[in-house]
Amino acid sequence: MNLATHVPILAIAVPLLGAFALPLLAKVHRSLRDLWVLLVGAFTVAMLVLLAVQVFTGGILVYTLGAGTPGDTVPEGFPIRIMLVVDGMGAFMGLIAALVGIAGLAYALQYLEEEKGKTLALTLMLLLWAGMLGLKLTGDLFNFFVFFEITSVAACGLIGYRVWESRPPEAAFKTMVMYTLGGLLILLAVGILYGEYGALNLAYLSAQIGQGPLDQIALGLLLGGLLMKAGSVPMHMWAPDAYGEADPSTAIVLVANTQAALYGLFRIVFTLYGGAGSPAVGGLVTALGALTVIVAVLMAVLQTDLGRLIAYGAVSQIGYMLLGAGVGMATLGAAAGGEAGFGLVALQGGVFHMMNDAACIGLLFLCVGAVVRATGARDLRALGGLGHSLPGVSGLFLLGSLALAGIPPLNGFASKLMIYQAAFRLSPILTALAVLASILLLAVFVRAFQGVFLGPRRPLGGTAAVPTGMWLAMGLLAVVVVAFGLVPDLMVRHVVAPAAEALWTGREAYLVAVLGG
Amino acid sequence: MILETFEGFWSPLVWTAVAVAVTLLALALRSRGRRDHKKGTEQTAPFLSGEAAPDGVHVGGQHLYWGFVEALRPYIERLRAAHTGFVVDYVTWLVVALAGIMLLVLLV
Repeated sequence: MNLATHVPILAIAVPLLGAFALPLLAKVHRSLRDLWVLLVGAFTVAMLVLLAVQVFTGGILVYTLGAGTPGDTVPEGFPIRIMLVVDGMGAFMGLIAALVGIAGLAYALQYLEEEKGKTLALTLMLLLWAGMLGLKLTGDLFNFFVFFEITSVAACGLIGYRVWESRPPEAAFKTMVMYTLGGLLILLAVGILYGEYGALNLAYLSAQIGQGPLDQIALGLLLGGLLMKAGSVPMHMWAPDAYGEADPSTAIVLVANTQAALYGLFRIVFTLYGGAGSPAVGGLVTALGALTVIVAVLMAVLQTDLGRLIAYGAVSQIGYMLLGAGVGMATLGAAAGGEAGFGLVALQGGVFHMMNDAACIGLLFLCVGAVVRATGARDLRALGGLGHSLPGVSGLFLLGSLALAGIPPLNGFASKLMIYQAAFRLSPILTALAVLASILLLAVFVRAFQGVFLGPRRPLGGTAAVPTGMWLAMGLLAVVVVAFGLVPDLMVRHVVAPAAEALWTGREAYLVAVLGG
Repeated sequence: MILETFEGFWSPLVWTAVAVAVTLLALALRSRGRRDHKKGTEQTAPFLSGEAAPDGVHVGGQHLYWGFVEALRPYIERLRAAHTGFVVDYVTWLVVALAGIMLLVLLV
């Protein structure tokens, strides 16, 4: 068997089967469970990197399940089988999942406590990882819904598994209500499109879809469900509850989960609908992006819980991604006439910011974990002086904060600069709002840093020693924050640009790869 | 090593080189400062409004930007009031947003 041929399905199947095998191995021995997690994590990351190399060097990869050969997509002239389709955007999202997944698992292995549901949390993390990857790689709309639900169930479990505390189950319940409604909206849209066209293959639907009322209703339902799960204002209120109450080691994967919803939004608007009605949809996404940036940052100013403060910071970053993508969508029609190159730059900025946000926010959540482990507290009013006992963590927290606020030369600056400049061409007000939000975000994180790490030494409630696995996870994300900031051109040229092009002009290539010329 | 940003460009390495040069210049200027400064004396002790600061005082995170938050309080209170924490309100916002989205995609 040529392993390279089966990379797309292995990238999903290995963490999925790994999740189900994990509780059984934990019954045998805890060391075996931990070794299994590391093996599954390393293998999945290797598959995702290999997948990205294949796609960025050889173009779109199609894998048909149940076919004699993976490339046999239309056996009798109709794409009936389950299909995985990986273009530049899918491969890029796979890389984000690889980074977040391996950092989260390495951290969780040493952060989580045995008597506090460690095996359950690790199982749910692997399940969430598999669901995210399936959502990003699938080529048909029904499996998109299935993986959407897998991520929802696993995410709610991860938020609320600490049932001995009162707040996590409450946050999980709220998230579950919202995710269920979002899932129903998507299922309704899937039903409408299936009833109309008799197929659910994305490429086939994309070739058939028009702008009739039913198509538009399905688009509206998909937008509603995906914007909600992405955490867009005013449907964002579950997100601070979820991120804030989740274990810091799992919050990093939950943030990546919202990015998966954002990816779904891009895939629907650019690939399925081909930008149909894009000025209106683009205007909507742009407006929601600007609103999300401002509202989330202002709410962050008020927070006294470190976890919720970072959670609002994470929501504000979703706003930047929506802003970049929205400007791209709004100008897609004009781009056909060669007039709106700034739309592509905005889209590139939004896509690049997904990777940068995953690294910055991930790093901040992991630092919160180290603080909680050391003190047992997350309240800014109770914390202080941790810079004396946790100098390394304080340095990493400062690094993540500065990057998130867009301070050069760190990674957040490069992607935000692309969004600022491109959005300015659409409306200077958008750029003004985005810059203002970044300034406020810097103020918020200066406040958090001052409150937690500066000041005189205070007695600790826990252990200040940070284990090696946690250092490795935080170090990996810190390296990404610095490296992508110092050489953003390499990232944009080799990874981000192909991903954005796959959305911007890659629809025809996507259709040809699946349906044939 | 230059990132094109449509209207301009961004070179982090040049920025870093300039930042290092400015830092070195600042350190050079600082080294020419007053020679009568002594560490560990009352010269370096913090004080609040002319009074010696009590030991262990820390201006906590919640105190920073007090004036800023006060100035924005009318807006922020409205935002806070909208974030009730009740899941029924979350669903209401979803329904309202969905109605807006539907109107937009169907009518525009």
